[in-house]
Amino acid sequence: MMSQMPARFDGAVVDRVPFRTSDGTDLGLCRISREPGRPAVLLVHGHTVSSEIFTLPEIRNLVDVLLDAGYEPWLLDWRGSSRLPYNEGRVRYSYDDVSLYDLPEAAAYIRGQIGDRKLFVVAHCVGAMALSMSLAAGLIPGLAGVVAHGVFLTPKVTWTVRLRSHLGGELLRSRFTHVPVDIKKVGLRSRYTPIFGLASLGADCPDPTCQMLHNSAWATGASLFEHDKLDKRTHDRLSELFGSVPTWILPHMRRNELAHSVMRWNNRDRRYARLPENALESAHRIDTPVLLMSGSKNKIWQDSNRLCHDLLSRRQPQLDVRYTEIPGYGHMDAFIGRGAALDVFGRIIDFLDEH
Amino acid sequence: MTEPTARNREVDRRWEGELIDGGGDRSARVADLLAAVRQTSVTPSARQTSVTPPARQEIATSAEQDAAPAVHRPAVPPGDWTVDRLTSAILTAAGRLMPGRDLHAEIDLFDAGASSVNAVELVAALDRDHGITIELDDVFADARPRKLAERWLTAHGAPPGAALVAAVPASLVPVEGSDLDMIAADLSLGDDLPWCDAPLPVTPRRILLTGATGFLGGHLLLDLLRRGDAHVVCIVRADDDEAALRRLGDALAGFDLPWSGEVRRRTTVLAGDIRRPRLGLSEPVWDTLTRELDSIVNVAAAVDFLRGYPSLRQSNVVAVRTLAELAMTGPSKPLHHVSSVAVFNEIGIASMGEDDPLAHINRLVAGYDKSKWAAEVLLRRARERGLVATVLRPGGIGGHTQTGAYNAHDLSCGFSAAFSRYRTVPAFRFFNVAPVDWVSQMAAAIVYEPDGWGQNYNLTGRPNAMSELVRDLELGGMNVEVMHWEDWREDFIARAEADPVPGLDFLARVMRSPTAMQLCEANLSSPAATGTRTEAFAARHDLPAPVRYGAEQSLKNYERMARDGLVTLPSAEDAPYLWFPETMKGRIDDKPAALRITLSIASMYQLTRQDKRTLDVRRGKLKLHDQLLTVESGEVWIRPDEGVPLQGGFDHPLLRYDLRLRDADGQRWWLEGWKMARPRRDLWKQSRTLTVEIGREGEPATFSGVLKVPSKSYLRDQFDGIQVDPRLSAQEQRTAKLAWLSWFLPEMTRGLLEPGFRLLADLLDLRKDAIDRQRESDLDQDRATIKKRVRAR
Repeated sequence: MMSQMPARFDGAVVDRVPFRTSDGTDLGLCRISREPGRPAVLLVHGHTVSSEIFTLPEIRNLVDVLLDAGYEPWLLDWRGSSRLPYNEGRVRYSYDDVSLYDLPEAAAYIRGQIGDRKLFVVAHCVGAMALSMSLAAGLIPGLAGVVAHGVFLTPKVTWTVRLRSHLGGELLRSRFTHVPVDIKKVGLRSRYTPIFGLASLGADCPDPTCQMLHNSAWATGASLFEHDKLDKRTHDRLSELFGSVPTWILPHMRRNELAHSVMRWNNRDRRYARLPENALESAHRIDTPVLLMSGSKNKIWQDSNRLCHDLLSRRQPQLDVRYTEIPGYGHMDAFIGRGAALDVFGRIIDFLDEH
Repeated sequence: MTEPTARNREVDRRWEGELIDGGGDRSARVADLLAAVRQTSVTPSARQTSVTPPARQEIATSAEQDAAPAVHRPAVPPGDWTVDRLTSAILTAAGRLMPGRDLHAEIDLFDAGASSVNAVELVAALDRDHGITIELDDVFADARPRKLAERWLTAHGAPPGAALVAAVPASLVPVEGSDLDMIAADLSLGDDLPWCDAPLPVTPRRILLTGATGFLGGHLLLDLLRRGDAHVVCIVRADDDEAALRRLGDALAGFDLPWSGEVRRRTTVLAGDIRRPRLGLSEPVWDTLTRELDSIVNVAAAVDFLRGYPSLRQSNVVAVRTLAELAMTGPSKPLHHVSSVAVFNEIGIASMGEDDPLAHINRLVAGYDKSKWAAEVLLRRARERGLVATVLRPGGIGGHTQTGAYNAHDLSCGFSAAFSRYRTVPAFRFFNVAPVDWVSQMAAAIVYEPDGWGQNYNLTGRPNAMSELVRDLELGGMNVEVMHWEDWREDFIARAEADPVPGLDFLARVMRSPTAMQLCEANLSSPAATGTRTEAFAARHDLPAPVRYGAEQSLKNYERMARDGLVTLPSAEDAPYLWFPETMKGRIDDKPAALRITLSIASMYQLTRQDKRTLDVRRGKLKLHDQLLTVESGEVWIRPDEGVPLQGGFDHPLLRYDLRLRDADGQRWWLEGWKMARPRRDLWKQSRTLTVEIGREGEPATFSGVLKVPSKSYLRDQFDGIQVDPRLSAQEQRTAKLAWLSWFLPEMTRGLLEPGFRLLADLLDLRKDAIDRQRESDLDQDRATIKKRVRAR
């Protein structure tokens, strides 16, 4: 199920942990440690990628930097990971499941292992969005700090992307269970070809996977990274890093985005009653310092995190929330970019050190 | 420098002292200092009560402690001075300002480590102690003590013969064309360089970088680290390595560049001085560098348009020769030298291509242009001896497109500030300017790619034509007037003198200097620089193609300059750009009420700010029961917080009114009103209905109610009633009106439709998806794909 972890991290021990949530879903959890006693940092990836975005061997990755800075990284592959089979499966899940099961139970497990040591969370994209719901529900209390990159409580896209993803997505979801990004997987003449064709319009890069992610992410017009920020080796294996996007989750995403707030999907299911209907309205339950980060050229979530910071500063002034914009970066490249260690990770370490 | 400042002991000079002692950008400090000095010369007593931060006032500086007693010395008649005596007096004064430096009559004080601030202080000290008034421009032109003495004596009519000629060797008397002789001598330095083979065409792993504390150098350091895995050794002028490290960190932070552990891990900082033999490094360190380095990048230069060639040659020419020697000693290394399009700065030059002939040296006027020319020609000679020398020529280096960080002493930056502040532009052909992030990224890529070494590159981006710049400013609501160059210069100097702006002092000095003025003129009349090779390189290596440094690219730069007081962006204090009335009637606490206000914008820029898109309310009246309240000021926020609902639910804010009012008794009031979008069909009504709360200042709301824009007056006021600044031409007024409507109407439409979209989404959520519709044919296709993949293996 899980691909091999790159053999790096000098002197560090890599422990894979069998981890099943209380709703019976098998996830991936992995601890990378050098010596005991370090503060732990749970790394949460975005949807359709995996924890591999934190361990890319071709660049100085976040795990390298955390280890050198005296932290103990924990990698979680939640159910939206490209390393797990659920995105292409026939059993639907919603982000409520991630907020209710995956994140709180992973944090609880880690706490059980590290005792009273500090636990931080660094989360990216949809991982950060789901985390915001967990925090607003009070399901992960007492964290030492949270770094949320790209989006947090207030998802927002441009009007063009909004129309294309919400209306076009409606067409997709009635035709396909998932949309792949690797044309080699499905072949040149498949029923997905029109989507690849749409994504390729006006593209500079000939790589179909890159077109599907950078030129027009899943043909919505959004872009997941700044092309020139990627190392060539990373660019050439984008299809290994990104998996298929399940179309049945698009309505939940649409509900969140149209409200510019993280919303609960399951309204009549009592199992999810612990989650608030609107996470933004329950933001007062967040009990940890939050660093919101975003690339200045984020072409998918735009300035959602700046908006979140402005809103929380006004509506919840008691919260310790700050915002940092990373000049010149887009979205994914803040973690998988060639220079991310120089431009991004230093800010994360500064925040962790401060708390 | 004027007498009252130099001599008046009543004047508080602690601030200047702190400037001299402090670290940071020396060019910026001299501009501040000059501005302050000019201020004191006008009103000496006012200086003591000037706005000086308390922290600064508390700092007693060594400069202040060392100051000479308050003795007013009478001016000594020129006849009493000889060259030797005056040279000695200059050396003594300079020695006090630069303790520990090895000074002598023939050393250029800038080469000995003087800063521009020291130059100002030297002029002041000579005036104060000896009554000798030396022009600052003379110091900048040639800062050798003996030359200064000669020039002063000649200018003050020293008797020919006795004092001057008898004391000075004939070779030191200024002669026509002495710069050219010096350049010729400097070029011959290239003949002593060793012969070398071509370096191995491999990606560098250890790079030497000079000038990392500068604007381009700092950005280039980060781009060198980002683009590859090389370790970068920086030569930084400082007393020791620790101080050099600190200075580099401060400089990077000043340009909003990261200085984290990750950057430090890959950087070694050595204290040195490129003007000295072996870069001011010890022999063992020099030897190590000759062996271990595999690439050299030279960004360091004295960029000063006022100083003459003799004063710049050590930094800009001799240092290049030293670096060439380093590159050619031991294993060969490529030398990447940052030159400038100033090498073409001849008035009337036909073209500025990458391999086009440089300007005629005898037609270059400014010392800076000559020094960059000489360095390039020196490198040509070195190329003949085997050196792989890359010449990178930026033009104007604009601010960073993302951080807005800028170099206040770049001419293009100074011009931009002047254009926006005074709303006039000189007629020019092209601005050869590119943002620092693009220049730096290109330069870093060339350093890393062996196929790019050894060539000339114009890193000038896509030049900005005058019409494009004027249109950008117009679209932002900053309409400008075009003037002849001479008229513009005189106008600028007059304005700068009438209302000095510290940040523009640098440009004002340039405009007053005859040589620097010609440099500007050459810049403004120059053709567009072309960068065919640069564009091809960018395309080959997936680098961004050069783009024009237009309104969008320079927006953050403008905002940052505005924060620093260098640029004035239109604001509510300025005359409105566009305005229209709005009338509302309704009931507040069940009694009739009416509100009439005038809404305006100062520029279209006001609407592009993501964090605060507002209309200004400059005047109006509120009839509240029996009272008539006057609207003093206020804002109307358009789709505040992107329309995020206030309390969950489906009500999205459309407009928020924040008004400040005053009643007949002078009491202050506040009004807060919301226009909300709701998922209902009465969109027309929603767009006109304002729910308001009103209260006294500092108190909770006293009244609440609903006001509505009558249907009849809505279109009449808000479309037909739009008025535009009458100073604009009829065409500009029409453009402004259309630009406003084409922005505002879609914005309101989107806001009104947003709740409806959410309802629609709730309906769509009920539709079946692909799992529900799964058909056998789909599963067949899945199976076929799997089989095909298995076969392919």
